[in-house]
Amino acid sequence: MSLFLPKLTCKKDIDEAIKGVAEKVVVLRFGSDDDSVCLQLDEILSKTAHDLSNMASIYIVDVDKAPIYTRYFDISYIPSTVFFFNGQHMKVDYGSPDHTKFVGSFKTKQDFIDLIEVIYRGAMRGKMIVQSPIDPKNIPKYDLLYHDI
Amino acid sequence: MGAHYCAICKQTTFSGKKHVFGKSHQSRLRVVLLKFTEKICGCSVSQVKEARRTLKKPQVEKFDCTQHKQKIWCYCCEVEIERNVTDDNMTVLYGGVIEHMATPEHKNKTHKFWWDNKADPKLKDKVLFTAEEAERFKAEVSEVLETFVEKEDEYIKQEAKFIRAQEKHRQEVMQTLLERKEEPELSNGPNSSRLSAEVPVSSQLQSRGWGQQMGNAFADSMSEVTQTAAGQGLTFIGYQDSSTSGNVHTGAVPPWLQDDPLEGTSGAAPQKEIGPSLQDFLKQKEQEKLKKLPPNRVGANFDHSSHTDANWLPSFGRVWNSGRRWQSRHQFRQEERQKRKQKKQHGTESSKKAKMTEQLSSSGV
Repeated sequence: MSLFLPKLTCKKDIDEAIKGVAEKVVVLRFGSDDDSVCLQLDEILSKTAHDLSNMASIYIVDVDKAPIYTRYFDISYIPSTVFFFNGQHMKVDYGSPDHTKFVGSFKTKQDFIDLIEVIYRGAMRGKMIVQSPIDPKNIPKYDLLYHDI
Repeated sequence: MGAHYCAICKQTTFSGKKHVFGKSHQSRLRVVLLKFTEKICGCSVSQVKEARRTLKKPQVEKFDCTQHKQKIWCYCCEVEIERNVTDDNMTVLYGGVIEHMATPEHKNKTHKFWWDNKADPKLKDKVLFTAEEAERFKAEVSEVLETFVEKEDEYIKQEAKFIRAQEKHRQEVMQTLLERKEEPELSNGPNSSRLSAEVPVSSQLQSRGWGQQMGNAFADSMSEVTQTAAGQGLTFIGYQDSSTSGNVHTGAVPPWLQDDPLEGTSGAAPQKEIGPSLQDFLKQKEQEKLKKLPPNRVGANFDHSSHTDANWLPSFGRVWNSGRRWQSRHQFRQEERQKRKQKKQHGTESSKKAKMTEQLSSSGV
C-alpha cells in the first residue's frame, strides 16, 4: 500500500471519486494490503501517479470495505483495476477473457503508462472500449469461472 | 559612323544621319516641338501665344509659391530655365522664358537644333524672341510693377479701415451692455416706493418704457453683435469667471481628477469594483479549457456535481451479462434483491433453528 495514493473506504467515497473527477481517467485498484501482487501493483501505480497526474487520478480500494462494488464489478481475483472516465466505465481488450477490468499487476511501469494513455485518447475520441497496447505476454493469465460452475 | 545618341527619340543610333530623316524621329520631333511651343505659349491648344501676349502686356502677380516656381526644359540648349522671374513678393509671368529666348546663345543653339533634326523652319520663329522685344518687355515690366505696387498698397489700406470700423462698433456695443446693467437697478428702486407719490410713478413709467426701449435696443445690439461675430466666424459665449474654482493658468486641479459629486448619490450598487468576481473569473477560465476539449469525448455531458442517492451505481458493463450496459445495473439490482430475499429466508430458518436449539438446550439442562 502506497503512502501517496489516496484510499477510498466506503461506497460514498468511491461514488464521489467516480463522479467528481472531470476529464481525467479514474483508476480504482481493488485489492487488499497484504497481498504481494497487490503491493507490486501499488508500487507501479504510486511511482507513475505523478507523471500521469494530468491524465489520470489513481485510487486504492480495499475489497472488504465496499462489498457492494466487489459484487457489482464481479471482482473475483485481486488485484483488479477498473477504469472510468467522466463517470463512464471504460472497457479495454487486453486479450484476456474479462474486458471490464485489469486483473493482476503490470510487468513494467511503461506498460501502465501506455495503457493509461490509450484509455485517455480513446475516451477523448468518444470510444468506450479500446485496445490494450500491452504485449499479451505481459498480461497475467487467469481463468474466468462463472460462479455456479 | 559612331554611336550617336538622339535626345528626341532617347535612343542610340549607329546609322549616323540617316536616322534623322526616318518616320519615327520626325513624328517624335513634331510632338516635342508642339509641346515646347505650347509651353512657351503658356497653355493648351485652344489659347494661343500667351507668352507673346505677355510680351506686349507684361503681367505681374502676387507671388504664389505653389505655382510660380516652375521650370521649363529648353530642347535647344539642353538647359532648364525658370519660367517666371520672382523676388518672393511678386512675379513676372513668363519672365524667365522671355529672357532666355532673347539671348544670342539660345539663338545659335536653336538654329543648330533645327538643322540637325531637320525640323520645320516655320516653327522656329515661335521659339525665338529678338533682343529688341526683350528690351521693350523689360521697360513695360517696370511700369507694370509700379502700378501693381500701388494697387497692393491701396488694398492694404482698405483692409485696415474695415478692421478699425469693426473694432469701434464692438466697443460701442460693450458700452451699451454696461449701461443696460445699471438700468434694472434703477427701475427696481422706484418699484418699491410706487404707492407713495405720483411723480415717482410717472418717472418710473418713463424709466420702465425707457428700460423696454433699452431692452429692445439691447436685443438688437446683441443680435447685431452675434451677427458681426458670426460674420467673423466666432460666437461670443460670455466671460468665463474662474476666480472661485481655479484655472489652468493658476494650476488648479483639473475636473477629471476631482472626485465626482454624483458618485455617492446615484451609483450606489456598482461600488468600486467592476467586472466579475474572482471565483467567476476562475470558473470562466475552466469553462474555456473545457471548450477546447473534443466535444465527442466520453461523458462530455456528464454532470459532475449532480447529487445521487446512496444506492447509485455507475454504469458498468458487468462480466456475465449480454446486452446493453444500463441493463447490467438493472440486472445487478434484481440479483441483489433476490439475494436479500434468500438471506431473509435463510435468516428466519436459522433463527428458528437457533431458538429450537436454545429451547432444547435450556430444557435439556
